Amino acid sequence: MALVSGPRGRRFWLETVEAYVYLLPTLAVLGLFTFYPFINAFLYSGYDIRTRTVPGAVVHTSTEAGSWIPLLARGRIPEELAAVLEGVGAVQDKLWVRARGANWWILKDDASGQEYLVVQEGALLRVHPAATRWALDPVGGENFRRVLRDPDFAKAVRNTSIYVGVSVPVTLILALVLATLLHRAVGGKAFFRLTSFLPYITPVVAITMVWAWIYDRDYGLLNYFLKTVAGWLGLEFSLINWLNDARYVMPALILMNIWRFVGYQALILLAGMQGIDREYYEAARVDGAGGWSVWRKITVPLLTPQIFFLLIISLIGSFKIFEEVLILLQGPGPEKAGLTIVYYVFTKAFDSKQYGVASAASVILFVIIFSLSVFQLTVVQKRVHYER
Amino acid sequence: MRGHRPRVNAYLLRRAAGLGTVYVLLLAVAAVMALPFLWMVTTSLKDLYQALRIPPQWIPSPPRWDNYPAAWNAAPFGIYFWNSFFLAVTTTVGDVLTSIPAAYALAKMTFLGRGVLLGLLLGTLMIPGQMLLVPSFILINRLGWYNTYWALIIPWTAGVFGIFLLRQFFKTIPDELWDSARIDGCPRLRYIFQIAVPLVRPGIATVALFKFVGSWNAFLWVIIMTDRVELRTVPVGLRFFMQDIGTDYPRLMAAATMAIVPVLILFFFAQKQFIQGIARTGIK
Repeated sequence: MALVSGPRGRRFWLETVEAYVYLLPTLAVLGLFTFYPFINAFLYSGYDIRTRTVPGAVVHTSTEAGSWIPLLARGRIPEELAAVLEGVGAVQDKLWVRARGANWWILKDDASGQEYLVVQEGALLRVHPAATRWALDPVGGENFRRVLRDPDFAKAVRNTSIYVGVSVPVTLILALVLATLLHRAVGGKAFFRLTSFLPYITPVVAITMVWAWIYDRDYGLLNYFLKTVAGWLGLEFSLINWLNDARYVMPALILMNIWRFVGYQALILLAGMQGIDREYYEAARVDGAGGWSVWRKITVPLLTPQIFFLLIISLIGSFKIFEEVLILLQGPGPEKAGLTIVYYVFTKAFDSKQYGVASAASVILFVIIFSLSVFQLTVVQKRVHYER
Repeated sequence: MRGHRPRVNAYLLRRAAGLGTVYVLLLAVAAVMALPFLWMVTTSLKDLYQALRIPPQWIPSPPRWDNYPAAWNAAPFGIYFWNSFFLAVTTTVGDVLTSIPAAYALAKMTFLGRGVLLGLLLGTLMIPGQMLLVPSFILINRLGWYNTYWALIIPWTAGVFGIFLLRQFFKTIPDELWDSARIDGCPRLRYIFQIAVPLVRPGIATVALFKFVGSWNAFLWVIIMTDRVELRTVPVGLRFFMQDIGTDYPRLMAAATMAIVPVLILFFFAQKQFIQGIARTGIK
């Protein structure tokens, strides 16, 4: 790199302009879809946000309202109406009644995503294509008060903390053991690396479906395995209802995630171990140190950069647990034992349409993650050993 | 080994025993890692009656291959696979194309605000994506992108992971190369794409692979930004398939296998790049 010292010359400014041209596409995308929403997340938490469905121009007026209303009231779409809507681009068998009120119905066409508003005015039914408008009203700290007073949110925070508090350290310790084993193996490393990595790259949704089957109470692999082992030991074993017993929901989520991430973390640690200078080991051997103390006093301390990195990313990653809950439990689980913070945000926003409340909850999530990361960066990192 | 003194023999024996233990443990771990996959595949080849047998039968006889066409035809999986493939390709190409010049600038150029920018980009790693769901949803709606491919492609055409990884690769290129190219009158952008890029090909392969797999697995963003069958990706389709057919495990597992296999094939062919990507993320 050219050494630029003294006053900044013409070349420096030209290079600055050029560099920003190269950075422009990245900054545009990140600016619009990361930084801007990030600021809005804080902003929106102070608003009550609603969507309103507003009608467009009338596309059809029916004079025989009487024959349509009973069908619409039952959530069915009259064939004539469907035919009318087909004329404006809807697909007949993809139409359904999304919402309804005393004298209006919102029909949705799943094929195009377009919504239609049907309004009854006396004996007339008017059909409009509908558009969504967003309405924001400032409410101050009301969203935060509602979130913090919501027992569901308290439960979500508790569940998530238990999940993070158990799975982060346990996964890391197991990964350290696995990495040590991999490091000591002389042959077949490629095979073991492959099997360790598989769970990490497979689609979460697909593999969680497999685990839902593994956790099946009567026919699942896990209960069968536990029962067999208990049989060998001569113990009683009553089948565990992993996904429908509040006590076992968290362990099931934790177990699955340890399985998913332990291999990935082990590979990162292994890369670190392979980067450790052999001289350290030789010096230790000369001093007569045994395997265990070499591991404890040389390997692990020299791995602290990797351990620290894993701690941060797995902490952030674990706080975001959501898909696993949705697929494994198909909901928040028995007694909401699987309700996590992100699940709470998701349902508040996209099921109850309380976007402001959801924003407030996600701001709290950010504050938790951010303060833990800062704590790690300032307090924990001071104890990290860096080579050289 | 004849002629060694007993002390050495004991040392060798202890080492052999140690190595034996290492391998037994490693094989046990490998079995635990692989078991869910084997269980998935074997279930996918059974009929429901066989699948619910206890003790489980590991080798289905006769194998029910028709679970696969049955699952495939029970939902529009053709659309789901096409969408996943299309989105994975477009976002990967976009991400690589935006990351190359950005990473080069951050690695090799001296300009105002470089340090601030590096910090800012690194900072985005601290933002949990889930925090952005609501504002992104509102933004996408306001852009009029709800239920469009734009919503699924454009936001994912830039990424910090690729920039930092490529930046490390670009840093290893000696400055003299650019100096001589400049003297020959080569514009910088041409130098980047024609000379520097071929030198960092392994890095680009790694970025592309991770991005591709990430897009293939995309779920949450897709269920929030779209609700049309025509826009569902494989994971989203799987979820609806699961809701539709309930606990018909053989067909569910056949569908899961179909979703996982493309990723596995990719992984088998590009193991080196994956492992390299992992090793690099850990070190820096």
